[in-house]
Amino acid sequence: MTLATETFTFVADLVRKRSAIQLEPGKEYLVESRLLPLARHAGMTGVDEYVRGLRAVPRPVEYEKVVEALTTNETSWFRDASPFKALTDHVVPELIRERPVTRQLRLWSAACSTGQEAYSIIMALRDSAPELSVQITATDLSEQVLARARAGRYSQLEINRGLPAKMLVEHFTRVGIEWEVSQQIRRGVTFSRHNLLHAPPAGGPFDIVFLRNVLIYFDLATKQEVLRRVQSVVRPGGFLLLGGAETTIGVDDAWERVPVGRSSVYRLNARRAA
Amino acid sequence: MSAIGIFDSVQLTAIAEEVFAAMVDGEPGLLLPWWDGPATVTDPLHAWVDLHASYTGRVLLTTDAATADDLARALLGMDAAEVVSEADLVDAFGEVANVVGGNLKALLPEQGKLTMPLVSRQPPSHEGAFQLDEVLLAWRGRPLVISVWNL
Amino acid sequence: MKALVVDDSRTMRRIVARILQDLGYETDEAGDGQQAIDLLEAGEVYDLACIDWNMPVMDGLEFVMAARARTDWRAMTLMMVTTEAEHGQIVRALAAGAHEYMIKPFTPDAIRDKLELLGLIPAEETV
Ligand SMILES: C[S@@+](CC[C@H](N)C(=O)[O-])C[C@H]1O[C@@H](n2cnc3c(N)ncnc32)[C@H](O)[C@@H]1O
Repeated sequence: MTLATETFTFVADLVRKRSAIQLEPGKEYLVESRLLPLARHAGMTGVDEYVRGLRAVPRPVEYEKVVEALTTNETSWFRDASPFKALTDHVVPELIRERPVTRQLRLWSAACSTGQEAYSIIMALRDSAPELSVQITATDLSEQVLARARAGRYSQLEINRGLPAKMLVEHFTRVGIEWEVSQQIRRGVTFSRHNLLHAPPAGGPFDIVFLRNVLIYFDLATKQEVLRRVQSVVRPGGFLLLGGAETTIGVDDAWERVPVGRSSVYRLNARRAA
Repeated sequence: MSAIGIFDSVQLTAIAEEVFAAMVDGEPGLLLPWWDGPATVTDPLHAWVDLHASYTGRVLLTTDAATADDLARALLGMDAAEVVSEADLVDAFGEVANVVGGNLKALLPEQGKLTMPLVSRQPPSHEGAFQLDEVLLAWRGRPLVISVWNL
Repeated sequence: MKALVVDDSRTMRRIVARILQDLGYETDEAGDGQQAIDLLEAGEVYDLACIDWNMPVMDGLEFVMAARARTDWRAMTLMMVTTEAEHGQIVRALAAGAHEYMIKPFTPDAIRDKLELLGLIPAEETV
């Protein structure tokens, strides 16, 4: 089966406008395989027919489903390990040193997918800085991943992806074939829907923002726009943690790169932001 | 206490799907519920593990020998031309039964113990036993039956 | 880097060994805990051991306890790789001295994630 050119163009445009995710030509297979379940669900035999229907009669709810279906939600516990080490060994001690009276930290886990990132942060900080009160706002574009994040239940295969055994036994209980994260950990995280192309979410100003493995899907102008918005809700001297293939260098010079161990974190210039 | 009502076929299917997606196929979607009318296994090979708790249960996998052969090939990363030895076939199919059985054991409210897997062309004796559950699955379109027994 | 894969299933040994080799490890295999002890007694040195739980002769938990009792084997990281999936079993293995715990089934990525966590391979940043 090959996808009609106008189907691909329509879907790529829709997804770019609504999420800024770039679907380059050559990603036809992705559109086909991700939309086939939606097409079948709508009682159609193929993606071309399904999209033809969408183009004839605009249906916002169905559009959202299309956009959600084309997001990549790949994530894991303590993904890449080093950012979480940088958080506990450098970022948080640095913030505490500069603001000794602060016993509260506000974090934003942006594009949080199914929640592993936010829960990993809470678990890591409970170990490294138990005296702190930590509040995380975790957001994503996709209602589907947010529902899973809020439920806090993960399959065995998901649990196997990077969750330290010590934390599994301490913070999770088995529920049938899944594992459920404890109330205590969940209390620290608020999940809400948010599109990075829109105004920042409530819950700020933030001391630390995790914005990992999402900028890679955007073009340069969108990256700049998103980083500017993030800047507006980060405290002066606050930190930004990006994915391994992402940087602010050459994108937004309000951030200073701070090498920590094997990776880097980014710090909002106090001068600029003041 | 007995195993009745502890496993349901939805969980059984979900566990088998995870095992195949992770270790056999490297991707989900190749092990599915059977949809195509009655399935017949004509040249059966059986693999099972027994589960000892306050009662004894058994998890039994049955498929055609040729399917088990391909299953072993997939697990061992062999290509289609390579011949699977009897020892590899027995070990690989037994290990699939072992992993499925281990994950089912974790659903018990009490700590049980799993026996080493056994593989045979003859089905194990089920005298005095009764079947608790059975799911009919299709791996790459070929039948695989998983049944759970109370011994 | 050298790893020892301890499992009574040769299929499972081959799967784990292949994943570790792809991550840059040299691997040896043992069919039960006693065979693993024999290799270590003979002077083999490993950075990592991946250990099944249910095995004949000497099971994985007994092996972990025996290995942790030896100060000269302290540098070896011990990771259980097993179908034992109950909360209580994981607690037992950690208490016996296992450093990490992987429940079967697992994917190659899951092994890589654990080794990253243990600092046994440099984090490969992923997208
Ligand atoms: C690859 S995941 C990254 C998850 C996590 N941050 C990590 O590093 O593992 C990317 C996520 O970005 C979300 N996303 C994509 N475009 C977005 C947008 N415009 N606004 C908010 N979230 C978006 C997707 O729904 C997806 O869950």
